Amino acid sequence: MAVGIGERRDNRLAYVYTMPALMIMALVIVYPFIYNIILSLSNMNLTHFRDWRLIGPGNFWTVLTDTTMNLKLLGIEVPDFWYFFVKTILWTVINVFFHVTIGVFLAIILNKDLKGKTFFRTLLILPWAVPQYITALTWRGMFNSEYGAISIILDRFLGLQVPWLTTEWGAFTACLITNIWLGFPFMMIIALGGLQSIPDELYEAADIDGASWYQKLKNITIPLLKPVMIPAITLGIIWTFNNFNVVWLVSNGGEPSDKTHILVSWVYKVGFTYFRTGYAAAFSMIIFAILLVFSWNFIKRTQATQAVY
Amino acid sequence: MVSRFETKTTHGAPLRQNLLWDSKILKVKYLVVFVFFALSILSCSHNEKRIMVWHSLRPIEREILREQLKEFGKQHPEWEFGELFYAPETARTNFIISALGGSGPALLWGASDNIGPLVELQVIQPIEPHVNQAYLDSFLTDPIEANTWFQDHLYQIADRVGNHLCLVYNKDMVPEPPETMNELIEMGVALTKDTNGDGKPDRYALAWNYTEPFFAIPFIGGFGGWIMDAESRPTLDTDAVVDAAQLIYDLANTHRIIPRECDYEIANALFKDGYSAMIINGPWSWGTYIENNIDIGITRIPKIDETDLWPSPMISPLGYSLNVNVRGERLRVAVALMQFLTSPEVELIFTRATASIPSRKEAFRSSIVKDNELLQQSVYQLMVGKTMPVVTELRWIWDAMRPSYQAIFTGEKTPEQAAESMQRLALKLIEENRE
Repeated sequence: MAVGIGERRDNRLAYVYTMPALMIMALVIVYPFIYNIILSLSNMNLTHFRDWRLIGPGNFWTVLTDTTMNLKLLGIEVPDFWYFFVKTILWTVINVFFHVTIGVFLAIILNKDLKGKTFFRTLLILPWAVPQYITALTWRGMFNSEYGAISIILDRFLGLQVPWLTTEWGAFTACLITNIWLGFPFMMIIALGGLQSIPDELYEAADIDGASWYQKLKNITIPLLKPVMIPAITLGIIWTFNNFNVVWLVSNGGEPSDKTHILVSWVYKVGFTYFRTGYAAAFSMIIFAILLVFSWNFIKRTQATQAVY
Repeated sequence: MVSRFETKTTHGAPLRQNLLWDSKILKVKYLVVFVFFALSILSCSHNEKRIMVWHSLRPIEREILREQLKEFGKQHPEWEFGELFYAPETARTNFIISALGGSGPALLWGASDNIGPLVELQVIQPIEPHVNQAYLDSFLTDPIEANTWFQDHLYQIADRVGNHLCLVYNKDMVPEPPETMNELIEMGVALTKDTNGDGKPDRYALAWNYTEPFFAIPFIGGFGGWIMDAESRPTLDTDAVVDAAQLIYDLANTHRIIPRECDYEIANALFKDGYSAMIINGPWSWGTYIENNIDIGITRIPKIDETDLWPSPMISPLGYSLNVNVRGERLRVAVALMQFLTSPEVELIFTRATASIPSRKEAFRSSIVKDNELLQQSVYQLMVGKTMPVVTELRWIWDAMRPSYQAIFTGEKTPEQAAESMQRLALKLIEENRE
């Protein structure tokens, strides 16, 4: 619909009011984004920080083929990017799977008439309420193979000695456990909200029809939870994919041997420890492209942004 | 939708008058929005009368720095002085980012190994034009050059020297410290104890952050090697590096006198809680041990029997650098503050509290230093240390060492393989960055 002159003049004040926000948005999002694209095409690094120049899209090729770290997957040497990409996919899928499963499971329990429901609800939100870095560092301490609580318990009761933080996959598992602990309360809260909005009449009707617990879960709970959970899962995937803190803090910056990284922690290390700025900028553009394509498709396929009822 | 014009005309007021009135209101509103926005911008802008110092000082030292800033502030009441703690790596990164953006603290305190990268990034400025020769002559040149010159300019004024690793021992458990590595191993076997009989030691002879390359460097020197040559080329694929790594690996896995998994915090906690009789740590930690009522002694890291050489920790000055963005009056006050903080009196306040080695000749020769047994032992270790290079190549050598060196302790690489791959990576990083 065409906007009339009067209407445009009417909206002028609204534009003025939103101008500071728009300007700040442009400053903190649009400008850095464009600048990052430029840097990704440059040779900027520690020795060419001020006198950098544009070198074309070579950094993108280097990102996809660089084998600086001599990393191996199933015994085959792969470029650093693909190694960390596989780890990031594993990291995201495992995390989100457990976040959703544990979250929905606990939400279903909490949605029932349970004694001390408020207490349990508060207790289960606690991992989410504690600052992430405190949780991460506490878990790191607990994973120490000699003095950590987890190692002591595993050793004493199961006779298991797991070198959590000194092996590649041990450290990765330690990061996973920490992040699962941190992430399930969010899904639980979302699922609980969704469950409470499902009308009781549907369950009553199902009971009259003689539906089993599983049939009610499959045909009522899950379909009606879907519109609430899909955006939460989308967000969960993006957050987990980009979850720098937990990986960085639990693995002490990628230890052992810089193998415990996901894409974002590796790009941080490359950018701010090694100062390979042009390379890191190209790397982050690729991460951005991956997330953009994923989110676009996911939302489109699941129709998550459409009205629910 | 009903527009504002329609609403007003329905009230019967003449349209022209309404428009005029409306226009005035609009102007006032624009003005309010503009003033609000301008104030917001101004409130975020840089405070020109504030001098900040970023540092990585320990809590006891932070308190002293705060008091000294207050003291200095009395001479400059129109200025505001503050300090902010960051871990060393974070301080460097944040400083670079903020200085490149045209702001950041006036002074950055830290070890001299940052100077190379900071100069290459042009985020610090030469200090020598702002101080006189007599002041510069009053700093130590022996056993270590206190002030850091790089590419013919002075970029750091030290307030202390050393920053070197020593063997720290708990006198209650180790009345006489080991002189040689064989003595350490022999003593270590007796000191490492499994008190509850679960097959795992409950107390270790020694603990330190040995998986971090900086903490392994002394041993490379002990085997007659070093990490770079005079042309700043890496020298990591050498027998000295292999032997040093093998020795540390053996201490953990063959002799089992050090924990098999140990980072800085764990080592520190073990020593403080009496679960480790000795620790290899630097001057920054001694104050905390004394505060925890541990009767500590300090000595050299034991001599390597095979080479008859003392391990040589890296030694470096620690001090203040000037942000490149500091100019005019702010620069004058920042330099004055730097001179105040590096005065013999202030250095000795730090020395008394933390046993740091002062950088000024006058303070170094004072009875406070001479009569302090810990400091004398620290200087004894310093005499066999090697000055930490300030060239940027050191940065890439650290980065190249870490992954391969740590792979030795995860069993992925032998010391020989690790030495070979760290050399290769160091050369690659240097080449990539220098091309």
